[in-house]
Amino acid sequence: MKATKVQGRIWVLTDPQGQLYDDIDTDQIFHNRYLHITDVAEMGQYALDNLEGWEDFSEKAQPGDIVVAGGNFGAGSSRQQAVDCFRALGISAIIAESFGAIYKRNAINSGLPIVALPRLTGMAEAFQTGDTLKVDFTSGEIVLDGQVYQAQPFSQVQMDIYQAGDIFAYGKALEEK
Amino acid sequence: MGYTFAEKVLARNVGLDSVEPGQIIIARPDKLLSHDNTAAISRHFYKIGLERVHNPDVEVIVLDHVVPAASEADAINHRTIREFVAQQGISGFYDVGTGICHQVLPEKGHAWPGAVIVGSDSHTPTHGAFGAFAAGIGRTEAAAVMATGKLWLRVPATFRIVVEGQMPERVSAKDLILHIIGDLRADGANYRAVEFAGPAIAALSMAGRMVLCNMSTEMGAKNAVVEPDDTTRAWLAGRVTRAYDEIHADADASYERILTYDVTNLAPQVAKPHTVDNVCPVAEVAGKRIDQGLIGTCTNGRLEDLEAARDILRGKHIAESVRLLVLPASREVLLAALEKGVIADLVEAGATVLNPGCGPCLGAHQGVMAPGEVTISTANRNFKGRMGSKEAFTYLASPATVAASALTGVITDPREV
Repeated sequence: MKATKVQGRIWVLTDPQGQLYDDIDTDQIFHNRYLHITDVAEMGQYALDNLEGWEDFSEKAQPGDIVVAGGNFGAGSSRQQAVDCFRALGISAIIAESFGAIYKRNAINSGLPIVALPRLTGMAEAFQTGDTLKVDFTSGEIVLDGQVYQAQPFSQVQMDIYQAGDIFAYGKALEEK
Repeated sequence: MGYTFAEKVLARNVGLDSVEPGQIIIARPDKLLSHDNTAAISRHFYKIGLERVHNPDVEVIVLDHVVPAASEADAINHRTIREFVAQQGISGFYDVGTGICHQVLPEKGHAWPGAVIVGSDSHTPTHGAFGAFAAGIGRTEAAAVMATGKLWLRVPATFRIVVEGQMPERVSAKDLILHIIGDLRADGANYRAVEFAGPAIAALSMAGRMVLCNMSTEMGAKNAVVEPDDTTRAWLAGRVTRAYDEIHADADASYERILTYDVTNLAPQVAKPHTVDNVCPVAEVAGKRIDQGLIGTCTNGRLEDLEAARDILRGKHIAESVRLLVLPASREVLLAALEKGVIADLVEAGATVLNPGCGPCLGAHQGVMAPGEVTISTANRNFKGRMGSKEAFTYLASPATVAASALTGVITDPREV
């Protein structure tokens, strides 16, 4: 059984004015010039290097860290690397106000935990880079500084794929039933 | 109570009487589209330990993103794909020069009303123009679809966008969809099905409908559709040989939102750097110096787009300070444009005509920018750094606006030339 609760240090993706970034697109997460890379191990170093203020993210992030972002995280192209670069870095979860539709699928199918926290942008001051938070994938509860926030829990298919590992392991498990 | 287009197509695909938004279904796509990323998909596929794809007739693979190969890595990538296609007996393979995947797929008869089409490319919703349910998926799950023929889908809720009025001269579908995206924003239709309807939509050619469905991705839509009518059937005749059953939304379907627009007084629009929803009328940025114009891409690379440019440029010459790149979206489009003298007119006006393919849209080759440069483009994305330098700027616009701007050397309202 994989862990359904994780705890980690957060990186809150804010712009140079200190506002939580909305609409971070996959070009900013993983630029075109690296698209020929298909080995996941090589992707981590380029994560977010096209997002203003976060070009050195891969040097700072540690396995187990959690990324926090605004609305529509992962908008734009369907490139798989935009999900895999975070897996390569050992990011344990991404919490955003909402996700781009294809990014969401890619993340779920790769077993990268993503959690949507509606109205996060309105509460953004409570989330500061360097804080530690806990997130429970089953209940959707996020605990930070003693405060509890209700995010969307994993859907059943998301949890099933996460527990299986990824979409292929999940498919195999279904076939075997 | 009736059902929306998406609800009806998906229910039929899985053999249920009906489905509800939010419901997870296991769909069996009729077609799976992929392109230069097929090599990576096939690696996933072999990694699962399988040898044969579930059904080779489902796969449609088009080499378009970096064609011809711009580097040794690209060439090896293409070769890997050709080997995979041969091993698996995939007949729906289209090599370098055939065109952009979203143009080639319908040209070759792989889209039809009521079909369920998925693709490992975010602009797969383009094929909703043919009355199909068409959605983008990721590369990982494209491999899963190749292996099993199935994928999980959450039934989307639907927005209905009704458009009335008559499109003014020199104003086109691209201006309409930019205007809508400017209203709804980059996530305004997130995970929604979008239905385009109304007299202004019915008056659009297939090319115009493809523009709307293609760009719907940029407001987060899961899929978009223009329901089939005589225009659709006429275009598909001779291309689609199978029998198909059209799907139409019920008159009493339940929509999450219904929006109405009137194009009667619509002005040409642009999306300013660096987001697609940063939209304003062209007049507000008129006079801005440009270095390069691009007419092409899966959004606006069709004959009617090249003709719109030709109508503005014929007998004239683009400004000396400007490069104008023209990329017909497919070999078929290129041949038609050659036959009608459109290519000659554009070349004589100073355009650089490139081969069918995605070209500079994603900054791979054929028109990458230097720091400080400005391109006005008919593409669908203008994110920072997408076309090369992070210090370059891309404005999105219609073919007419791009042509008018190339003529003068500055962003120009096409109604004024």
